[in-house]
Amino acid sequence: MSGIGSGYDNSVSTFSPDGRVFQTDYAQKAVDNSGTVVGIRCKDGVVLGAEKLIISKMLVENSNRRTFPVDRHAGVATAGVAADGRSIVSRAMSEANQYKSFYGDPIPGHVLAERLGSYVHVFNLYWYVRPYGVSTLLATYGKEGPQLYLVEPSGTSHRYFGTAVGKGRQGAKNEIEKLKLEEMSCREGIQAVAKILHQVHDEEKGFELELAWICEESGRQFQRVPQQLAEEAEAAAKAALEAEDMDD
Amino acid sequence: MGTTIMAASYDGGVVMGADSRTSTGSYVANRVTDKITPLTDRVYICRSGSAADTQNLSRYVQWFLEQHGMELGDDPEVKTAAKLAQTMAYQNKNLLQASGGLAGLIVAGWDKHHGGSVFAIPLGGTLVKVPFSIGGSGSAYINGLCDRLWRPNMSEEECKAFVVKAVSHAMARDGSSGGCIRTVVISKDGIKRSFIPGDEVPVAAGELPPPVRQVRA
Amino acid sequence: METAQQGGFSFDLCKRNEFFAAKGVQHPGFTKTGTTIAGLIFKDGVVLGADTRSTAGSTVADKNCEKIHFIAPNIYCCGAGTAADTENVTGMVASQLELHRYATGTQSRVVTAMTLLKGHLFKYQGHVSAALVLGGVDFRGPHLFTVYPHGSTDSLPFATMGSGSLNAMAVFEAGFKDDMSREEAMALVARAIRSGVMNDLGSGSNVDLCIITKDGVEYLRNHEYLQTKTYERQFPQKFASGSVPVVRERVYDIRRAVQVVEGEPMEMEVS
Repeated sequence: MSGIGSGYDNSVSTFSPDGRVFQTDYAQKAVDNSGTVVGIRCKDGVVLGAEKLIISKMLVENSNRRTFPVDRHAGVATAGVAADGRSIVSRAMSEANQYKSFYGDPIPGHVLAERLGSYVHVFNLYWYVRPYGVSTLLATYGKEGPQLYLVEPSGTSHRYFGTAVGKGRQGAKNEIEKLKLEEMSCREGIQAVAKILHQVHDEEKGFELELAWICEESGRQFQRVPQQLAEEAEAAAKAALEAEDMDD
Repeated sequence: MGTTIMAASYDGGVVMGADSRTSTGSYVANRVTDKITPLTDRVYICRSGSAADTQNLSRYVQWFLEQHGMELGDDPEVKTAAKLAQTMAYQNKNLLQASGGLAGLIVAGWDKHHGGSVFAIPLGGTLVKVPFSIGGSGSAYINGLCDRLWRPNMSEEECKAFVVKAVSHAMARDGSSGGCIRTVVISKDGIKRSFIPGDEVPVAAGELPPPVRQVRA
Repeated sequence: METAQQGGFSFDLCKRNEFFAAKGVQHPGFTKTGTTIAGLIFKDGVVLGADTRSTAGSTVADKNCEKIHFIAPNIYCCGAGTAADTENVTGMVASQLELHRYATGTQSRVVTAMTLLKGHLFKYQGHVSAALVLGGVDFRGPHLFTVYPHGSTDSLPFATMGSGSLNAMAVFEAGFKDDMSREEAMALVARAIRSGVMNDLGSGSNVDLCIITKDGVEYLRNHEYLQTKTYERQFPQKFASGSVPVVRERVYDIRRAVQVVEGEPMEMEVS
C-alpha cells in the first residue's frame, strides 16, 4: 500500500479519504495528455477542430479520425483514448437513432448530451469496469440553434460557448476567450480554430489538423470542413501566426 | 363506441369536436361521454373505437409525454404526441378493435414550433398530417359536407361553426352517434371547452325540433 | 401478417379453451350475479344501491348476498358479473389502497381506485368479468364511476349496471335531479333497485343502500325487505304440549332404589 494512490486508486467503487475517486481522475488525465481538441460556437454554427499528433511517418493521412457525425444534426470530436472514443460515438449514434424512432423527431442537443453523460457516468460506479478515457465535444444544430456541449469521463456534461480539452487546453481556452464568438461566422471560425491549434502545438513533430462543422453553410448538417476550405484556413492561420511572430 | 369525432385546423390553432354517445350493443351506456381527452396542456386526442382500448392507450401516451416533457424541459410538440399514439396503435394493432369509421384516433393541438396541427391515426397505425380529419362511424355521412365546407385560413369562430355543423349532421344520420356536442379549441392562448346540450344541437332537415326542456322542481 | 409480440400477457389458454368448447367440452360454470346495482351523486355525497340475489344458472344461489363492497373508508363499490371476480378485484384494490394510505398518510381518492380497477380489468382483456359502480367522496368532492369488464370507465352523475340496469336507469332518467337531499336520493336509488328486483329475473330479494358523505358512511344492509315470505318455518320447531298422544305411561317410585339420609352441615375452616 504505497505510492501516490495509497491503495485507493484501484477501484472506482472506493473513495479516497479526501473524497476522490482516483480512477475517475486518472481517466481525466488520459484526456489531458491527448492531442488538443477545440470547439467554438459561432453566430451561425459550431466548429470543432482536433490536433492529431503524428504517431508514425508511415501513417496514411486521414486514417485516424477524431471527428464523427452522430446524426444529420449532430456530431462529435473526441479527445483521449481513440478506441474509447469510437465506442462513445457508437452509443451516441444509437441514442440519436432510438430517440428519433420513438418520438419521430431529431434528438435535441441537451438531451443527447445528458444521455451520453448518464451513459459515461455508469462506468464510474462499478468495480468491474473502468471509466471512459474520453472527453467528447458535441456539436448540434436543432430547434434551439447551434449548440456546443462537453461530456467528460466523470459523466458531467456542460454547454459552452467555446472550450478545449487535451494537452494544449489551457492556452487554447485563453485564446478562445479573446475571440468575439457572437460576431464570428463559421468561415472565420475554422481559421481561428486552425490558428489556435497551431499556436498551442509545441512539439517538434508536426501534426495533422482535422476540422468539422455544423452551420448554415453545411445545410445544418454535421460534416468535415471541405478539404479546400480547410487547407485555405490552415494556410491563413499559419500566415497570421508568422505575421504575429514578425511583429514581436 | 359508435362515434363521430373530428378536428380541424384554422389560422391560429385547431378546433376538435365529438358527439357524446357510448353504446354497448343497442344500449346507450353513457349519453354525456367526453371523447376529447387531454394528452398534455395543449395537445388533445379524439377517441373512437373500443372505449377500453382508447382510454388505456391515451393514458400510456399521457405518461410518455409527461416523461418526455421533463427530459425536454419544454412542452412536447403535437407531432411527438401523435407519433407516440401511432406507435401504440401500430404495436397493438392485433389487439385493438376499431368500430367502423375512417380514423381511429385524431391527435391535435398547438405548439410553438408549428402552431396548430392535426394528425389522423387510423387504428392500423398509420400517421398522417392533415388540415382536418373526421372519424368514427358517423364520419361516413359527412365526407362530402366537410370537403365542401372546410377552407384554409378560417377564423376561430368560423372553424368552430364548421365543426359543430359537421358533427350535428353526422349525429342526425348515424344511429350510433348522438347526445350532445363537445368541442375543444386549442390555440397559443390555451384551451377553450364548450358543451352543446342535446336539445340545443342544430336540427337537420326533416327532424322535429326538440321538445321544450322540462325543469324539475 | 405477424407482428412481434412485445411483452404483455399470454392468452393462449383462453384460445385453447375456446377450441375445446367448440369441440363440445363443457366448461365448469361460475356463480354469476344477475344484478341490479346503481348509484347517484346528491347534494352532500353519493348513494349506492344493490339488490341481494346471487344466481347460479337459473337457481338462486344466495338470497341475501352483499354486493356493495368496501374499497376504502370513504369509497364503496357495487359489483355485477362473476361473484368471485367482483369480490376479489374489489378486495385487491381495497388492499392496495390501504397500503397506499399507510405510505402517504392521506385519504384515498376515488379516481385512484378507479384507475387501479380499470388497469387490472384492461390487463385481463375482459376475462375478469366485473362490472362495477364505484362511488365515494374525497377532498375534491363526490365522485361516481362505472367500470366495465374490458377496462373502460365513465364518470357520471347517476349510473346503473347489471342485468337490471335498464330498469334502474329508467327510474333514474325519470326522477334524477341535481342537488337532491339525502332522503330524496335514498328514496330514488331504492326505487331504482326495486324496479330491478321486481322486473328483472336476475335480480331479487332485498335492497342494500350505502350513503357516503364527507362526514362518514351509512351502510344500510337490507334497507328494504321486498320478498319476505307469507309463511316462515320456525326453527327450532316448537310443538304445543298435548299435540302427541300418550300411548303408554309407567311411573317409577325412585324411593325404592334411593335412600335419603338427613344430616348436619359440616364445620368449615375459613382462611
